[in-house]
Amino acid sequence: MNTPQSSPPPRRSPEQLSGDPAVSDSLDFAGHEFARASLDHCVKCTICETVCPVSAVTPLFSGPKFVGPQAERFRNGESVDHSLDYCSSCGACTLACPQGVQIAELNSQARAVMKADHMPVRDRLISQTTLMGTMMTPVAPLANAVLANKPIRTVVEKVFGVHRDAPMPPAQTQTIQGWLKKRGPRKTPATRGPIVFFHGCAGGYFEVETSKRSIEVLEHLGYEVLVPKQGCCGLAQQSNGLFDQATDAVLKLCDDLRAAGELTIVSSSGSCTGMLKHEAHEIMGVDDERLKDVATRIRDMMEFLLEVADAGELPELSPIEMTVPYHAPCQLKSQGMGMPALDVLRLIPGLTVVESGATCCGIAGTYGLKKEKYEIAQAVGKPLFEMVRDTNPDLALCDTETCRWQIRKGSGVPTEHPVFLIHQALGLS
Amino acid sequence: MIGAGVAGLTAALRLARAGLNVTLLTKGVGGLQLSQGTVDVLGYSPTDPATRVANPLAAVAELAVADPKHPYAVIGVDAVRTGLAFLHEELGEQLLVGDPETNQLFPTAVGAIRPTCLAQPSMLAGICMDGARFAIVGLRRLKDFHAELIAGNLARTPLPDGGHVSARHLTIDVPARPREVDSSGLTYARAFDDPEFRARFAAELRPELRPEETVGLPAVLGLKDPTAWSHLADLLDHPVFEIPLPPPSVPGMRLNNALMAAARAAGVRVINGSFVDTPVHSGGRLVSVNVETAGAPRTITGDVFVLATGGFESGALTLDSYGEVTERVLGLPLAGLDAAPLLHGDYWGGEQPLFRVGVAVDPSMRVTSPDGSAVPDNLWAAGGILAGAVRWTEKSGEGIAVGSAVKAADAIVEELA
Ligand SMILES: Cc1cc2nc3c(=O)[nH]c(=O)nc-3n(C[C@H](O)[C@H](O)[C@H](O)COP(=O)(O)OP(=O)(O)OC[C@H]3O[C@@H](n4cnc5c(N)ncnc54)[C@H](O)[C@@H]3O)c2cc1C
Ligand code: SF4
Ligand code: SF4
Ligand code: SF4
Repeated sequence: MNTPQSSPPPRRSPEQLSGDPAVSDSLDFAGHEFARASLDHCVKCTICETVCPVSAVTPLFSGPKFVGPQAERFRNGESVDHSLDYCSSCGACTLACPQGVQIAELNSQARAVMKADHMPVRDRLISQTTLMGTMMTPVAPLANAVLANKPIRTVVEKVFGVHRDAPMPPAQTQTIQGWLKKRGPRKTPATRGPIVFFHGCAGGYFEVETSKRSIEVLEHLGYEVLVPKQGCCGLAQQSNGLFDQATDAVLKLCDDLRAAGELTIVSSSGSCTGMLKHEAHEIMGVDDERLKDVATRIRDMMEFLLEVADAGELPELSPIEMTVPYHAPCQLKSQGMGMPALDVLRLIPGLTVVESGATCCGIAGTYGLKKEKYEIAQAVGKPLFEMVRDTNPDLALCDTETCRWQIRKGSGVPTEHPVFLIHQALGLS
Repeated sequence: MIGAGVAGLTAALRLARAGLNVTLLTKGVGGLQLSQGTVDVLGYSPTDPATRVANPLAAVAELAVADPKHPYAVIGVDAVRTGLAFLHEELGEQLLVGDPETNQLFPTAVGAIRPTCLAQPSMLAGICMDGARFAIVGLRRLKDFHAELIAGNLARTPLPDGGHVSARHLTIDVPARPREVDSSGLTYARAFDDPEFRARFAAELRPELRPEETVGLPAVLGLKDPTAWSHLADLLDHPVFEIPLPPPSVPGMRLNNALMAAARAAGVRVINGSFVDTPVHSGGRLVSVNVETAGAPRTITGDVFVLATGGFESGALTLDSYGEVTERVLGLPLAGLDAAPLLHGDYWGGEQPLFRVGVAVDPSMRVTSPDGSAVPDNLWAAGGILAGAVRWTEKSGEGIAVGSAVKAADAIVEELA
């Protein structure tokens, strides 16, 4: 997306991928030539500066124009500007830039280089999302108790640098795969053929209810929903600069998803979808036909529903008399597809959806968990939390998991995926 | 609607108000945010560039006759009037005041005086009139506002009626936030949204002011709170005005944010951040364009399309090293290419004919072909993409944009009825 003046980004060849040599070699490439070429398109209009949620709340970060295209001119390996680490990679700058400068991508790449030889253990650990889910699910009550325990969290903060008050996912007693195995056969006939559902790790282990309802909505529309066994997209590793691990993860996931056949892939995990659609390619320079294939076929759940609605094929929605705040996560907006959830929700009679107007909730993946970033992330989220509380203290809607945890924690308002209301309006709950 | 500058936003909003389904496509934030936050209709006569225009609408009517190639010749003065009234109504008195029949003179960030007809209420006390007494106040940590330069230039510039303003400068230091020595105008604007900051600021400044002075400040007096500037004036017990800065332009952001919010609230579907290209035609009509959404392009279909993509400055037009000018979204044939040379080498010399190149339209703003080659018949255009004006020297950009936007929108409503 947003690649006006330039040829397509160079893609990483299979030879470059197989048995990547040293970390630094792969970072050298890292989709970087393309992003770097875009910096000459910067006309210093400052538009990106006006949308950055981080520089808005802290003088520690000098903003996208400086840290992105300006500092990049001086970089040759190690970054000249260490405030770079405060960039949350929310992508708002790239989206707003009318000249096509890959600002957020430049920042992510420079950060990976900067951290390459001194990666904090914390950043390696919190990016192991599948592992965290697998370990927590069987012991959910225990895991939840541990995560709610102040003294334990204080120790975790001291040792690992994960802030004691940072939002944590609620561990569930059942995974999505567990639910799929236990539930009986579907009640309505499949009239529309098969599609693939991608739940992501968060949707598999923590936000299981979102995955269930998405599957039920898709089945109600007549699809036969295939849920192949699937691993993690590697997004958390990518955003922490662990490009090699992330590349392995994302390609493994592409294999998993492709195993089901040449089908449309739908996901209710907005950020994982972004990783597959563009981040793995644009930030890490992964050049692989499997990724390209998946990127072309995958749809965000609400994007998919909007396509169904635009084709006139969405069944009638029953009224829901309610005013509800909706926050479009930065990683969803950065996909350059607008706000499909807003457009679909508007089709529900009686429902008033108020768009948050906030750029970012602050969490930006794992950014807001870190003890040195926690205050910033909370400050970024504050206007959003207030808006959510003022609009409806009982329900807020947001498409990605970590953002929901952040909004729930920050505002105290129960926050769900927009598919919840579609599920309800279709009479499924 | 392709483009989210003042033309695209105005047209999208007007179409949505008329009950049509509008999708707005843009590759980024539009030019309104970079503007001074005023509405320029005509500041200098294109036929006599040394002359400031006193009555913009009257001058537009004259220009329409004098220069048949100027966009105002096809837009016409009535559409400009309708467009300004529409914008005024949408933005409200808190954001836009003034009279389209009268240009006022406002100070700029280099202390020049600039004519415009609609401005923000926070700017009005700065109208340059004989006998005005200005105290221009700089902020130590805001580097884009040089109070001494502004005051010096204002004081020595004779006004059109021969009168003068008097102006002195002073600089105070109130940090927008702790431990920051170089703050942007936007950072200050966010601080001024906080009444407590305003009180602190006023407490520092008030003792420095002399009786009867009007206080000129950089245009950073609040981004979200439209009463920030008047509250500050109350606290200072002096009239206050804002002088627009180079970008990030806070007054420009106010207008841009307000129009974008209004468009969204009116049901406009907005797809931001994606380049638009790859038109598909069928039977003389434009059927769809592609947006370069992440992963793979998405096809956007429409009954009618409006091109509001701006000019060279927004990347809507490009000039390659062979001297070839291209309209980048649809590859339309362009008007104004007959001037030779398009570019002359005298940087400080006269106008560059290249800047008048653009798309040709008929009086309903429907795109026409200047060279006989085919153009789709369900395509309209508005704003900076129109051929025939040098908007930044004439100070005609917003007038052309809103006039053509409402004219195109109204023609489309009629066409689809
Ligand atoms: C330096 C400068 C100073 C100026 N000063 C003045 C002044 O003092 N007074 C005055 O009256 N005028 C001035 N102008 C002119 C004024 O800015 C323009 O006339 C006005 O902004 C045009 O508005 P617009 O809506 O037509 O286009 P723009 O505001 O340029 O908006 C164009 C929109 O189209 C989008 N777009 C373009 N191509 C594509 C694509 N391929 N895909 C998707 N989206 C696309 C852009 O992202 C943008 O949203 C100045 C211009 C410049 C460059
Ligand atoms: S928005 Fe784009 S062009 Fe403007 S300053 Fe930022 S990077 Fe440069
Ligand atoms: S990615 Fe987000 S935090 Fe980083 S510079 Fe861009 S807008 Fe700011
Ligand atoms: S974004 Fe999704 S798949 Fe990727 S790490 Fe997070 S939860 Fe896992």
